[in-house]
Amino acid sequence: MSAVSDSLHRLDEIVGDANLLTATEAVSRYTVDGQQPLAVACPGSPEEVAALLRTAAEARLSVLLRGGGQHLYLGAPSEPIGLVVSLARLDRIVEYQAGDLTVTAQAGVSLGSLQRRLGEHEQVLPLDPPGPATATLGGIAASNLAGPMRMRYGSPRDLVLGLRVALTDGEVIRTGAKTVKNVAGYDLSKLFIGSMGTVGAIVELTLRLIPRPEERGMLMAVLSPERARQAVTEVIGSRLEISACNVITHPAATRIAGHLPITVAGDAHLVAVGLSGPHEAIARQDREMRALLGDACVGLTGKEADSMWEQLRGLAYPREREATLLRISVPIAAVPDVLELISSQPGWCAAAHAGDGIVYAWPAEEADLLTVKKVLDLLRGTASGMGGFAILESGSVALKRQFPVWGDQVANGDLMAALKAAYDPTGVLGCGRFVC
Amino acid sequence: MLDRRLLRSLAKTVGRQHVLTEPADLILYSYDSSTTRGRPEAVVFPSSTKEVSQTVKLCAGRRIPFVARGAGTNLSGGSVALRGGIVIELSRMNKVLELDTLNQRVLVQAGVVNLDLQQMLAPHGLQFCPDPASQKVSTIGGNVAENAAGPHCLKYGVTTNHVLALTVVLPSGEVRQFGAKALDPPGYDLVGLFVGSEGTFGIATEMMLRLWPLPDSVQVVLALFEELEPAGEAVSQIIASGIVASALEIMDRGTIEAVEASFPSGLPTDVEALLLIELDGAAEALDRQAERCAAICRGLKARQVEIGRTPEEQERLWSARRSAFGATARLSSALLVNDATVPRTRIPEVLRQMQDIERRYGVQIAKVFHAGDGNLHSNILFDRDDPEGFRRAKMASAEVFQVAAGVGGTITGEHGVGVEKAEYLRLIYSPADIAAQGRLREVFDPLHLANPGKVLPTEEGSSAQITGAST
Repeated sequence: MSAVSDSLHRLDEIVGDANLLTATEAVSRYTVDGQQPLAVACPGSPEEVAALLRTAAEARLSVLLRGGGQHLYLGAPSEPIGLVVSLARLDRIVEYQAGDLTVTAQAGVSLGSLQRRLGEHEQVLPLDPPGPATATLGGIAASNLAGPMRMRYGSPRDLVLGLRVALTDGEVIRTGAKTVKNVAGYDLSKLFIGSMGTVGAIVELTLRLIPRPEERGMLMAVLSPERARQAVTEVIGSRLEISACNVITHPAATRIAGHLPITVAGDAHLVAVGLSGPHEAIARQDREMRALLGDACVGLTGKEADSMWEQLRGLAYPREREATLLRISVPIAAVPDVLELISSQPGWCAAAHAGDGIVYAWPAEEADLLTVKKVLDLLRGTASGMGGFAILESGSVALKRQFPVWGDQVANGDLMAALKAAYDPTGVLGCGRFVC
Repeated sequence: MLDRRLLRSLAKTVGRQHVLTEPADLILYSYDSSTTRGRPEAVVFPSSTKEVSQTVKLCAGRRIPFVARGAGTNLSGGSVALRGGIVIELSRMNKVLELDTLNQRVLVQAGVVNLDLQQMLAPHGLQFCPDPASQKVSTIGGNVAENAAGPHCLKYGVTTNHVLALTVVLPSGEVRQFGAKALDPPGYDLVGLFVGSEGTFGIATEMMLRLWPLPDSVQVVLALFEELEPAGEAVSQIIASGIVASALEIMDRGTIEAVEASFPSGLPTDVEALLLIELDGAAEALDRQAERCAAICRGLKARQVEIGRTPEEQERLWSARRSAFGATARLSSALLVNDATVPRTRIPEVLRQMQDIERRYGVQIAKVFHAGDGNLHSNILFDRDDPEGFRRAKMASAEVFQVAAGVGGTITGEHGVGVEKAEYLRLIYSPADIAAQGRLREVFDPLHLANPGKVLPTEEGSSAQITGAST
C-alpha cells in the first residue's frame, strides 16, 4: 500500500493536485472492461506525459492511454489498470501553415475541432473514422482508424508525416518530419500508428492535408446482391477518382432507415458511391456512376451528402456499449462473397468499405454467447481462408475472453514482442489490450 | 578474405557461375551512383528467396556482413559494401509472380525493374504509383528499401503508401511474411517499419504492391520565368488555389543549359526557371485547371506558357525535365547530389540562401525540384581530380542541409541516408530520437550484419571513404 501511495505522490508532483484524480467516484468514470483505474492523470505538456510514463514504469504501474475515450471498446479485455493518462489537455494546434498543406497538432485535439480550423482555409484532413467527432487525433492514430474515404486517401498510416512520442524512459522523441517527403532515418512513426498505446504515448502529430474538394456528392442505389457485385467491381476499377464505395446489407440499413432517402427491402443491398473533385469531374462521375447504378439511384450533394456519409460511417461504430462488432478485412474482390456469407446468417448485418476490402459485421440483436461465437468463428475462418483477418472490435468482456480479439495467432509474434520489449521494457503500457 | 569453404558453400547455394570473386569483378560492385566506395569480398546472384536465405545464413553463421543490391542507382552509398563482406545482387529475381487486376495487387520479385512493371500494368489500365527518376533501371526491391518517390508522389504518395506485404529474409537468414494482401493485419506495422530501412533490417525478396487505376486524362503546363522566385511563387499560388497537381517541377537555369547542351529541345537558355505542371483526372476538369495554372504563371510574368494536351506534346514538355539529371551529370566530372526537403512555403527563402551558398563556396548548384512537395534536388558540380573543389562541394552541401533543417525541413526526401548523410541526421534529430531509431535496428539486426554502417550515425562518426564520383 505504501508503494502505491508513494507512486501516487510522485504522479501528483508531476501534474499537480488538480490534474490527478484518485477519488473512487472520479476514477470510476474511467473504467474500461470493468477495470477501474487507481488514478487518472491529466498532464498538461508532452514532458509531463513522459514523466508520468517513466514514473509508472519505475513503479510497475500499468498505463492506459486515453484520448477522447470514443474508441476504448477496441482491444482485448483490459488487465487491471493502474493509471489512466488522459491526453485531453494536450489540445493545441501547434503549427498550421496552410500553404504547406500540413498541420501539427497535439494528440488531444479532436478531429472535429481540427477540421473546423482547417475549413477556414478550405482544407481538410481526409480521415472519416467511425464515431463522434470528439475522437482525438492521438487516439485515431494509435488505433489507425479510418472510414469510407480511406479508399482514396488512406489511413493515419498514410497521412501521418511525423510524431512526437513520450516513451517510458522519460524521453519525448520526434519521428518523421514536417515535410510530405522524408526518408531521413527509420520510419519510426509506423511503430506507434496502430499500436494501441503499447509502445509509447503519441503527444503530437504532423499530418498531411488536402484542399477541400470543390464539390462533393453521393449516389445511392438499392441493388440485388448480384448487381451490387458487378457495380462495385466497376466503381472500384474506375479511373474517375471515386472517393468511397460502401455496400450495406438490408438488415444493416434498417439501423439508419430513418435517415435514408431510399427504401431497402428484401435481400437487396444499399450501394453508396462517393463523388468529389472539381465540378466538371463531379458531373462526369455522376453520369458514369448513374449508368452503373441504374435509373433509380438517388443523388445527394454538399451538406446533405456529408451528413449521409456520417450516417454510413457510423455503422462501423458499435450500436451500443459492448455490442458485438466484427471487422473483417479481405482482398477487395472477395467483399461480395463475405457480404453473402454474413447475409446468410439470420439476424446478421454487414456494412462494407468495398474499395478497401473492409467489412463490418454485427448481429441486429445480441444473442447468447455460443450462438454469436459460432458465427464469429465461421467468419474468421472464411476471412483467413481468403488471406484476410477478422478482429472483434467490440463485444462483451465475456465474448472477448472466448473469442481472441486479434485472432487465434498473430503472425510474427516474436518480432512484435521484441519491438514491445525494446520500447516498453517493463511492459506497463496498454494493459494487455493489444497483441503484446 | 573469405575462406574457401565459404566460397564453396556459396557456389553450391547459387551455382558457381553466380558467384564473383575476381578483383576486376569486385571493383565493378564497389560503388553505386553516389560518391561512396567499398569493395565486397564476393558478389552472389541468387535466383530465389531460398537461395537468398541460405546465403544470408552462411553470412550470419560466420558473422560476415552482407549488402543487398538492385540496380545500384542509390545516391547515398546505400548499396555499397562499406565493411566488405558479400553483396547479394538480386537482378536474377526479376519475375512478376502474380498480377491480380480485380484486387488491384501485383506480387513481384525484388529484381523487377520499375518501368518494366509499369509497362506491363498499363494495358490493364493500372499503375504502381512511385515513379523515381531512375525507374528505367531501378528495381522494386531498391524502391522498397529506399522508400523511393518521384514527381507523381506529390499526388499519389511514396512507396510506403503502396506496399502491402513483403517476403523478408531476416539477418538471421530466416524467411518471414510481413503484411498481407488484405489491409490491416493485426499487430505492429512491420511492413511500414521495413520500407525505407535501406537494407539494414534484412532483404525483401518479394513484394505485394497496391495498384491504382491510371488517370482518365493528363495535361501538362510548361512556363518559363526570368527569375527563379516567381516560379516558386507560382507553385504556392497553384497549391493555394486548391488545385491538386500530379506533378510540380522546377528546373533552374544551370540545369536548363545542361539539358540544352546535351539533349537540345529548343528551350531558351536565358531564362532562370522552368516550371512544369502536370494535372490529371477527369478530362472535362483539366482545361479549366490548366488555364488557371497558366493564368497564375502569366500573372507572375512568365515569359512563355505552353499547355500540352496530347501525349506527344506532353512528352516533349516533359523531356527536358526527364533528362535533367543525366544532362547535369555531364556538366562536370562529378556531382554531389543533395535532396534536402523543406516545407513548401519556405522554398523561396531557401532558394535565396542557396544562391548565397553558391557564391560563398564558389560552386555551381544545378537545381531541379519536386517543388510541389518541397523536395529540392541540388546537384553540386565539382571536378573529381580537384580535392579542394570536392571539399568546397561537401561544405556547400552540408550548409544546404543546415538551411533545410533550419526552416523545419529534412536532409533527405527521397534518396536515403546511406553513408553520406548519416552524420547529418543530427541536424534534425536529437540524440534521444536517434537512440529510439537505433532500438528498432537492434530488434531486426542485433548482430549488425545487414548493410552495416548505414542510416544511423556512429559514435566515431562516419567511416565512409568518400571520393569523387565519376560521372
